[in-house]
Amino acid sequence: MHLTHELELFPGHKVTQMLFKEVKNAAELRQCAVEGKINGALINPTMLVNPFQVLVAANKAVNSQNNGKMKTRSLYSEIIFNLSPTNNISEAFKRFGCSDGDDSVLVVLIHNEDESQLLADLTARVSGRQVPVEEVSSLTDHAKVKKLYKVTQEEEKSGTLLDAVVCRMAAKDVM
Amino acid sequence: MAQEKSMAAIPEFLSKAELLKQGAEARVYRARFLGRPTIVKERFRKQYRHPLLDEKLTHRRTVQEVRSVLRCRRAGISVPVVYFVDYTSHSIFLEEIVGSSTVRDHIVSSPPSARCEGLEPLAERVGQVLARMHDEDVIHGDLTTSNMLLRCGPEDEVSELFLIDFGLSYISALPEDKGVDLYVLEKAFLSTHPHTEALFQRLLKSYAAASKKSSAVIKKLEEVRLRGRKRSMVG
Ligand SMILES: Nc1ncnc2c1ncn2[C@@H]1O[C@H](COP(=O)(O)OP(=O)(O)OP(=O)(O)O)[C@@H](O)[C@H]1O
Ligand SMILES: [Mg+2]
Repeated sequence: MHLTHELELFPGHKVTQMLFKEVKNAAELRQCAVEGKINGALINPTMLVNPFQVLVAANKAVNSQNNGKMKTRSLYSEIIFNLSPTNNISEAFKRFGCSDGDDSVLVVLIHNEDESQLLADLTARVSGRQVPVEEVSSLTDHAKVKKLYKVTQEEEKSGTLLDAVVCRMAAKDVM
Repeated sequence: MAQEKSMAAIPEFLSKAELLKQGAEARVYRARFLGRPTIVKERFRKQYRHPLLDEKLTHRRTVQEVRSVLRCRRAGISVPVVYFVDYTSHSIFLEEIVGSSTVRDHIVSSPPSARCEGLEPLAERVGQVLARMHDEDVIHGDLTTSNMLLRCGPEDEVSELFLIDFGLSYISALPEDKGVDLYVLEKAFLSTHPHTEALFQRLLKSYAAASKKSSAVIKKLEEVRLRGRKRSMVG
Protein backbone atom coordinates (compact mmCIF):
# COMPACT_ATOMS: atom_id res chain seq x y z
CA MET A 1 0.00 0.00 0.00
CA HIS A 2 2.94 2.27 0.65
CA LEU A 3 5.19 3.49 -2.12
CA THR A 4 8.97 3.37 -1.83
CA HIS A 5 11.28 4.92 -4.37
CA GLU A 6 15.05 5.00 -4.18
CA LEU A 7 16.33 8.39 -5.36
CA GLU A 8 18.38 7.91 -8.52
CA LEU A 9 20.65 10.86 -7.68
CA PHE A 10 21.28 9.69 -4.13
CA PRO A 11 21.74 5.93 -4.11
CA GLY A 12 20.76 4.50 -0.74
CA HIS A 13 18.25 7.28 -0.03
CA LYS A 14 14.74 5.92 -0.18
CA VAL A 15 11.52 7.88 -0.06
CA THR A 16 8.50 6.11 1.37
CA GLN A 17 4.97 7.50 1.18
CA MET A 18 1.99 6.25 3.15
CA LEU A 19 -1.56 7.51 2.97
CA PHE A 20 -4.10 7.34 5.79
CA LYS A 21 -7.80 8.17 5.74
CA GLU A 22 -10.31 8.52 8.58
CA VAL A 23 -7.52 9.75 10.81
CA LYS A 24 -8.63 10.57 14.35
CA ASN A 25 -5.39 11.70 15.97
CA ALA A 26 -3.91 14.28 13.59
CA ALA A 27 -3.12 16.66 16.49
CA GLU A 28 -1.27 13.95 18.37
CA LEU A 29 0.68 12.94 15.24
CA ARG A 30 1.69 16.51 14.66
CA GLN A 31 2.90 16.75 18.25
CA CYS A 32 4.96 13.58 17.74
CA ALA A 33 6.55 15.08 14.65
CA VAL A 34 7.41 18.26 16.53
CA GLU A 35 9.01 16.22 19.33
CA GLY A 36 10.90 14.09 16.85
CA LYS A 37 9.08 10.89 17.77
CA ILE A 38 7.93 10.69 14.20
CA ASN A 39 10.81 11.14 11.85
CA GLY A 40 8.86 12.13 8.78
CA ALA A 41 6.84 14.81 7.03
CA LEU A 42 3.09 14.94 7.65
CA ILE A 43 1.36 16.36 4.61
CA ASN A 44 -2.17 17.49 3.89
CA PRO A 45 -3.10 15.23 0.96
CA THR A 46 -5.82 17.52 -0.41
CA MET A 47 -3.03 19.72 -1.78
CA LEU A 48 -1.39 16.82 -3.60
CA VAL A 49 -2.17 15.79 -7.14
CA ASN A 50 0.02 12.72 -7.39
CA PRO A 51 2.75 10.89 -5.42
CA PHE A 52 5.23 12.12 -8.05
CA GLN A 53 4.80 15.64 -6.66
CA VAL A 54 6.13 14.40 -3.31
CA LEU A 55 9.09 12.67 -4.97
CA VAL A 56 10.03 15.94 -6.67
CA ALA A 57 9.92 17.76 -3.31
CA ALA A 58 11.87 15.02 -1.52
CA ASN A 59 14.60 14.82 -4.15
CA LYS A 60 15.07 18.57 -4.01
CA ALA A 61 15.20 18.48 -0.21
CA VAL A 62 17.95 15.85 -0.15
CA ASN A 63 19.89 17.80 -2.77
CA SER A 64 19.61 21.04 -0.76
CA GLN A 65 20.70 19.22 2.36
CA ASN A 66 23.77 17.88 0.57
CA ASN A 67 24.67 21.28 -0.82
CA GLY A 68 24.09 22.98 2.51
CA LYS A 69 21.34 25.08 0.94
CA MET A 70 18.28 24.14 2.93
CA LYS A 71 15.85 26.99 3.59
CA THR A 72 14.33 25.33 6.66
CA ARG A 73 15.67 23.47 9.69
CA SER A 74 15.10 19.85 8.79
CA LEU A 75 14.83 17.56 5.82
CA TYR A 76 11.16 17.03 6.57
CA SER A 77 10.23 20.67 6.82
CA GLU A 78 12.22 21.20 3.64
CA ILE A 79 9.96 18.71 1.80
CA ILE A 80 6.89 20.67 2.88
CA PHE A 81 8.56 23.94 1.90
CA ASN A 82 9.46 22.53 -1.53
CA LEU A 83 5.85 21.64 -2.26
CA SER A 84 4.82 25.26 -2.04
CA PRO A 85 5.00 27.56 -5.07
CA THR A 86 6.20 30.49 -2.94
CA ASN A 87 9.20 31.12 -0.69
CA ASN A 88 7.09 31.90 2.36
CA ILE A 89 7.81 29.20 4.92
CA SER A 90 4.86 29.69 7.27
CA GLU A 91 2.51 29.84 4.30
CA ALA A 92 3.96 26.53 3.07
CA PHE A 93 3.29 24.89 6.43
CA LYS A 94 -0.22 26.24 6.59
CA ARG A 95 -1.13 24.93 3.14
CA PHE A 96 0.84 21.73 2.83
CA GLY A 97 1.47 20.62 6.41
CA CYS A 98 -0.98 18.49 8.33
CA SER A 99 -3.34 20.47 10.61
CA ASP A 100 -4.85 19.36 13.91
CA GLY A 101 -8.34 18.65 12.61
CA ASP A 102 -7.35 16.83 9.40
CA ASP A 103 -8.94 13.46 8.74
CA SER A 104 -6.42 12.32 6.16
CA VAL A 105 -2.65 12.51 6.13
CA LEU A 106 0.19 11.52 3.83
CA VAL A 107 3.39 10.59 5.61
CA VAL A 108 6.79 10.85 3.90
CA LEU A 109 9.87 9.13 5.30
CA ILE A 110 13.41 9.28 4.01
CA HIS A 111 15.56 6.35 5.04
CA ASN A 112 18.47 4.14 4.09
CA GLU A 113 17.56 0.81 5.50
CA ASP A 114 14.70 -1.48 4.74
CA GLU A 115 11.40 0.22 5.47
CA SER A 116 9.45 -2.58 7.17
CA GLN A 117 10.28 -1.57 10.77
CA LEU A 118 9.70 2.13 10.08
CA LEU A 119 6.36 1.36 8.50
CA ALA A 120 5.28 -0.79 11.41
CA ASP A 121 6.26 1.93 13.93
CA LEU A 122 4.37 4.56 12.05
CA THR A 123 1.23 2.56 11.39
CA ALA A 124 1.10 1.82 15.10
CA ARG A 125 0.90 5.54 15.89
CA VAL A 126 -1.81 6.46 13.43
CA SER A 127 -5.38 5.77 14.33
CA GLY A 128 -6.77 5.69 10.86
CA ARG A 129 -7.12 3.47 7.83
CA GLN A 130 -4.17 3.02 5.51
CA VAL A 131 -5.04 3.12 1.81
CA PRO A 132 -2.91 2.83 -1.33
CA VAL A 133 -0.83 5.99 -1.89
CA GLU A 134 -2.21 6.31 -5.42
CA GLU A 135 -5.58 7.15 -3.88
CA VAL A 136 -4.19 10.57 -3.06
CA SER A 137 -5.54 11.66 -6.43
CA SER A 138 -9.08 11.08 -5.21
CA LEU A 139 -8.52 13.43 -2.25
CA THR A 140 -7.13 16.33 -4.30
CA ASP A 141 -8.92 19.64 -3.88
CA HIS A 142 -8.53 20.70 -7.51
CA ALA A 143 -9.92 24.20 -7.08
CA LYS A 144 -7.55 24.96 -4.21
CA VAL A 145 -4.55 23.52 -6.00
CA LYS A 146 -5.24 25.52 -9.16
CA LYS A 147 -5.68 28.70 -7.18
CA LEU A 148 -2.58 28.30 -5.04
CA TYR A 149 -0.28 27.38 -7.93
CA LYS A 150 -2.00 29.95 -10.20
CA VAL A 151 -2.63 27.44 -12.98
CA THR A 152 -4.05 29.11 -16.09
CA GLN A 153 -6.86 27.75 -18.26
CA GLU A 154 -4.60 27.85 -21.30
CA GLU A 155 -2.14 25.68 -19.49
CA GLU A 156 -4.71 23.09 -18.56
CA LYS A 157 -5.60 22.64 -22.20
CA SER A 158 -2.08 21.64 -23.17
CA GLY A 159 -0.84 19.78 -20.11
CA THR A 160 -1.93 18.04 -16.93
CA LEU A 161 -2.42 19.67 -13.55
CA LEU A 162 0.51 17.60 -12.27
CA ASP A 163 2.77 19.04 -15.00
CA ALA A 164 1.76 22.56 -14.02
CA VAL A 165 2.37 21.95 -10.32
CA VAL A 166 5.74 20.24 -10.77
CA CYS A 167 7.01 23.00 -13.06
CA ARG A 168 6.21 25.65 -10.48
CA MET A 169 7.87 23.69 -7.70
CA ALA A 170 11.01 23.22 -9.78
CA ALA A 171 11.14 26.84 -10.92
CA LYS A 172 10.28 28.64 -7.72
CA ASP A 173 13.86 29.64 -6.85
CA VAL A 174 14.07 31.83 -9.92
CA MET A 175 10.57 33.27 -10.02
CA MET B 1 34.62 15.53 3.05
CA ALA B 2 31.07 14.31 3.32
CA GLN B 3 29.93 17.51 1.65
CA GLU B 4 32.38 17.15 -1.22
CA LYS B 5 31.34 13.61 -1.79
CA SER B 6 27.63 14.38 -1.85
CA MET B 7 28.12 17.41 -4.08
CA ALA B 8 29.34 14.98 -6.69
CA ALA B 9 25.97 13.22 -6.72
CA ILE B 10 24.86 14.70 -10.03
CA PRO B 11 28.14 14.27 -11.96
CA GLU B 12 28.24 10.73 -10.61
CA PHE B 13 24.68 10.10 -11.81
CA LEU B 14 25.38 11.62 -15.22
CA SER B 15 28.51 9.53 -15.70
CA LYS B 16 26.22 6.51 -15.90
CA ALA B 17 23.56 8.16 -18.05
CA GLU B 18 23.29 7.91 -21.82
CA LEU B 19 24.99 10.86 -23.51
CA LEU B 20 22.78 12.11 -26.35
CA LYS B 21 24.65 15.18 -27.41
CA GLN B 22 27.91 16.86 -26.58
CA GLY B 23 27.50 20.50 -27.51
CA ALA B 24 29.73 23.53 -27.18
CA GLU B 25 28.09 24.68 -23.94
CA ALA B 26 26.07 21.75 -22.73
CA ARG B 27 25.85 18.01 -22.61
CA VAL B 28 22.45 16.42 -23.06
CA TYR B 29 21.77 13.07 -21.41
CA ARG B 30 18.92 10.62 -21.25
CA ALA B 31 18.21 8.88 -17.94
CA ARG B 32 15.49 7.68 -15.61
CA PHE B 33 14.75 10.15 -12.85
CA LEU B 34 12.12 9.72 -10.14
CA GLY B 35 10.96 6.78 -12.22
CA ARG B 36 10.38 8.80 -15.37
CA PRO B 37 12.17 9.09 -18.73
CA THR B 38 14.15 12.28 -18.38
CA ILE B 39 16.48 14.50 -20.38
CA VAL B 40 19.25 16.17 -18.40
CA LYS B 41 20.97 19.23 -19.78
CA GLU B 42 24.22 20.00 -18.02
CA ARG B 43 25.98 23.25 -18.85
CA PHE B 44 29.69 22.98 -18.27
CA ARG B 45 32.40 25.56 -17.85
CA LYS B 46 34.26 27.03 -20.73
CA GLN B 47 37.96 26.99 -20.02
CA TYR B 48 38.75 30.15 -21.97
CA ARG B 49 36.32 32.32 -20.02
CA HIS B 50 37.14 33.95 -16.73
CA PRO B 51 35.80 31.61 -14.02
CA LEU B 52 33.58 34.24 -12.39
CA LEU B 53 32.15 35.47 -15.65
CA ASP B 54 31.71 31.89 -16.80
CA GLU B 55 29.83 30.97 -13.65
CA LYS B 56 27.57 34.00 -14.07
CA LEU B 57 26.80 33.33 -17.73
CA THR B 58 26.17 29.65 -17.19
CA HIS B 59 23.91 30.40 -14.26
CA ARG B 60 22.01 32.95 -16.29
CA ARG B 61 21.43 30.51 -19.16
CA THR B 62 20.01 27.96 -16.76
CA VAL B 63 17.74 30.52 -15.12
CA GLN B 64 16.55 31.86 -18.47
CA GLU B 65 15.74 28.39 -19.68
CA VAL B 66 13.67 27.61 -16.59
CA ARG B 67 11.80 30.93 -16.64
CA SER B 68 10.93 30.79 -20.32
CA VAL B 69 9.73 27.21 -20.08
CA LEU B 70 7.34 28.23 -17.33
CA ARG B 71 6.18 31.31 -19.19
CA CYS B 72 5.46 29.27 -22.30
CA ARG B 73 3.62 26.61 -20.36
CA ARG B 74 1.40 29.21 -18.75
CA ALA B 75 0.43 30.37 -22.23
CA GLY B 76 -0.46 26.84 -23.28
CA ILE B 77 2.59 26.31 -25.50
CA SER B 78 3.92 22.75 -25.42
CA VAL B 79 7.32 22.65 -23.76
CA PRO B 80 8.88 19.84 -21.69
CA VAL B 81 8.03 19.89 -17.97
CA VAL B 82 10.92 20.93 -15.70
CA TYR B 83 11.33 18.32 -12.97
CA PHE B 84 14.36 19.60 -11.14
CA VAL B 85 17.12 22.19 -11.41
CA ASP B 86 20.49 22.09 -9.70
CA TYR B 87 22.22 25.45 -9.75
CA THR B 88 25.50 24.00 -8.46
CA SER B 89 26.13 21.71 -11.42
CA HIS B 90 23.96 23.86 -13.74
CA SER B 91 21.79 20.91 -14.66
CA ILE B 92 18.17 20.97 -15.72
CA PHE B 93 16.10 17.79 -15.54
CA LEU B 94 13.31 17.84 -18.12
CA GLU B 95 10.51 15.58 -19.18
CA GLU B 96 11.68 13.47 -22.13
CA ILE B 97 9.30 13.87 -25.05
CA VAL B 98 9.18 10.16 -25.70
CA GLY B 99 8.82 9.05 -29.30
CA SER B 100 9.60 12.46 -30.71
CA SER B 101 11.96 13.53 -33.43
CA THR B 102 13.30 16.98 -34.21
CA VAL B 103 11.51 18.96 -36.89
CA ARG B 104 14.86 18.96 -38.66
CA ASP B 105 14.98 15.16 -38.89
CA HIS B 106 11.35 15.09 -39.87
CA ILE B 107 11.95 17.42 -42.82
CA VAL B 108 15.20 15.75 -43.86
CA SER B 109 13.63 12.30 -43.86
CA SER B 110 10.59 13.27 -45.90
CA PRO B 111 10.90 12.52 -49.63
CA PRO B 112 12.02 15.59 -51.61
CA SER B 113 8.85 15.50 -53.69
CA ALA B 114 6.78 15.92 -50.54
CA ARG B 115 9.15 18.43 -49.08
CA CYS B 116 6.95 21.36 -49.84
CA GLU B 117 3.30 20.36 -50.03
CA GLY B 118 3.41 17.48 -47.58
CA LEU B 119 5.11 19.63 -45.00
CA GLU B 120 2.80 22.60 -45.26
CA PRO B 121 0.65 21.71 -42.26
CA LEU B 122 3.82 21.41 -40.17
CA ALA B 123 5.13 24.79 -41.36
CA GLU B 124 1.80 26.35 -40.48
CA ARG B 125 1.84 24.78 -37.06
CA VAL B 126 5.33 26.14 -36.39
CA GLY B 127 4.18 29.61 -37.46
CA GLN B 128 1.23 29.47 -35.07
CA VAL B 129 3.28 28.30 -32.10
CA LEU B 130 5.93 30.98 -32.66
CA ALA B 131 3.19 33.60 -32.93
CA ARG B 132 1.83 32.51 -29.56
CA MET B 133 5.31 32.55 -28.03
CA HIS B 134 6.03 36.06 -29.33
CA ASP B 135 2.64 37.30 -28.16
CA GLU B 136 3.83 36.29 -24.69
CA ASP B 137 6.98 38.37 -25.30
CA VAL B 138 9.25 35.32 -25.14
CA ILE B 139 12.16 35.65 -27.56
CA HIS B 140 13.66 32.21 -28.09
CA GLY B 141 17.11 33.37 -29.17
CA ASP B 142 18.11 30.16 -30.95
CA LEU B 143 15.29 29.16 -33.29
CA THR B 144 16.31 26.25 -35.48
CA THR B 145 14.50 23.15 -36.65
CA SER B 146 16.63 21.16 -34.17
CA ASN B 147 15.07 23.06 -31.31
CA MET B 148 11.56 21.91 -32.16
CA LEU B 149 10.30 18.43 -31.45
CA LEU B 150 7.45 16.64 -33.10
CA ARG B 151 5.66 13.90 -31.23
CA CYS B 152 3.56 11.89 -33.57
CA GLY B 153 0.22 11.02 -32.07
CA PRO B 154 -1.52 7.73 -32.73
CA GLU B 155 -2.40 7.13 -36.39
CA ASP B 156 -4.43 9.97 -37.93
CA GLU B 157 -4.07 12.19 -34.94
CA VAL B 158 -2.28 15.48 -35.33
CA SER B 159 1.22 15.45 -33.93
CA GLU B 160 2.20 17.79 -31.15
CA LEU B 161 4.90 20.41 -31.62
CA PHE B 162 7.24 21.19 -28.69
CA LEU B 163 9.72 24.02 -28.38
CA ILE B 164 12.99 23.28 -26.55
CA ASP B 165 16.40 24.78 -25.76
CA PHE B 166 15.53 28.12 -24.16
CA GLY B 167 19.04 28.87 -22.87
CA LEU B 168 19.37 32.01 -24.99
CA SER B 169 15.83 33.20 -24.48
CA TYR B 170 14.70 36.44 -22.90
CA ILE B 171 11.62 38.56 -22.43
CA SER B 172 11.00 41.47 -24.78
CA ALA B 173 8.01 43.17 -26.33
CA LEU B 174 10.07 44.86 -29.06
CA PRO B 175 9.07 44.00 -32.65
CA GLU B 176 12.76 44.27 -33.55
CA ASP B 177 13.69 41.41 -31.19
CA LYS B 178 10.88 39.25 -32.55
CA GLY B 179 11.88 40.08 -36.10
CA VAL B 180 15.47 39.04 -35.40
CA ASP B 181 14.20 35.83 -33.80
CA LEU B 182 12.39 35.00 -37.07
CA TYR B 183 15.41 36.05 -39.12
CA VAL B 184 17.62 33.62 -37.20
CA LEU B 185 15.11 30.88 -37.96
CA GLU B 186 14.90 31.83 -41.61
CA LYS B 187 18.67 31.64 -42.04
CA ALA B 188 18.89 28.32 -40.21
CA PHE B 189 15.85 26.88 -41.96
CA LEU B 190 16.94 27.70 -45.50
CA SER B 191 20.51 26.58 -44.98
CA THR B 192 19.53 23.29 -43.29
CA HIS B 193 16.73 22.59 -45.77
CA PRO B 194 17.63 23.85 -49.24
CA HIS B 195 14.84 24.72 -51.69
CA THR B 196 12.23 25.30 -49.03
CA GLU B 197 11.65 29.01 -49.63
CA ALA B 198 7.98 28.42 -50.41
CA LEU B 199 7.59 26.32 -47.28
CA PHE B 200 9.14 29.02 -45.12
CA GLN B 201 6.79 31.57 -46.67
CA ARG B 202 3.89 29.40 -45.50
CA LEU B 203 5.36 29.45 -42.01
CA LEU B 204 5.58 33.25 -42.01
CA LYS B 205 2.09 33.58 -43.41
CA SER B 206 0.59 31.52 -40.65
CA TYR B 207 2.68 33.44 -38.09
CA ALA B 208 1.31 36.69 -39.48
CA ALA B 209 -2.24 35.41 -39.36
CA ALA B 210 -1.94 34.06 -35.82
CA SER B 211 -0.05 36.84 -34.05
CA LYS B 212 -1.89 39.90 -32.85
CA LYS B 213 1.16 42.10 -33.34
CA SER B 214 2.62 40.55 -36.46
CA SER B 215 2.67 43.48 -38.90
CA ALA B 216 5.35 45.40 -36.97
CA VAL B 217 7.35 42.20 -36.54
CA ILE B 218 7.26 41.26 -40.22
CA LYS B 219 8.26 44.80 -41.10
CA LYS B 220 11.27 44.50 -38.80
CA LEU B 221 12.10 41.11 -40.31
CA GLU B 222 12.25 42.74 -43.73
CA GLU B 223 14.49 45.48 -42.40
CA VAL B 224 16.82 42.99 -40.77
CA ARG B 225 17.01 40.99 -44.00
CA LEU B 226 18.04 44.11 -45.88
CA ARG B 227 20.64 44.98 -43.31
CA GLY B 228 21.97 41.43 -43.48
CA ARG B 229 22.25 41.64 -47.25
CA LYS B 230 23.97 45.03 -47.16
CA ARG B 231 26.43 43.80 -44.59
CA SER B 232 27.30 40.76 -46.68
CA MET B 233 27.77 42.98 -49.78
CA VAL B 234 30.18 45.20 -47.88
CA GLY B 235 31.99 42.43 -46.02
N1 LIG C 1 12.82 17.12 -23.67
C1 LIG C 1 13.38 16.43 -24.66
N2 LIG C 1 12.82 15.29 -25.12
C2 LIG C 1 13.40 14.58 -26.12
N3 LIG C 1 14.53 14.95 -26.72
C3 LIG C 1 15.14 16.07 -26.33
C4 LIG C 1 14.60 16.87 -25.27
N4 LIG C 1 15.43 17.92 -25.06
C5 LIG C 1 16.44 17.78 -25.94
N5 LIG C 1 16.27 16.68 -26.71
C6 LIG C 1 17.19 16.22 -27.78
O1 LIG C 1 18.51 16.66 -27.51
C7 LIG C 1 18.96 17.59 -28.50
C8 LIG C 1 19.75 18.73 -27.87
O2 LIG C 1 18.97 19.41 -26.89
P1 LIG C 1 19.05 20.99 -26.72
O3 LIG C 1 18.69 21.64 -28.01
O4 LIG C 1 18.25 21.36 -25.54
O5 LIG C 1 20.58 21.21 -26.36
P2 LIG C 1 21.75 21.95 -27.15
O6 LIG C 1 21.36 22.30 -28.52
O7 LIG C 1 23.00 21.16 -26.95
O8 LIG C 1 21.88 23.20 -26.26
P3 LIG C 1 22.63 24.56 -26.54
O9 LIG C 1 22.09 25.03 -27.86
O10 LIG C 1 22.25 25.40 -25.37
O11 LIG C 1 24.08 24.21 -26.61
C9 LIG C 1 17.68 18.06 -29.20
O12 LIG C 1 17.90 18.50 -30.52
C10 LIG C 1 16.80 16.84 -29.12
O13 LIG C 1 17.12 15.92 -30.14
MG1 LIG D 1 19.60 22.80 -29.49
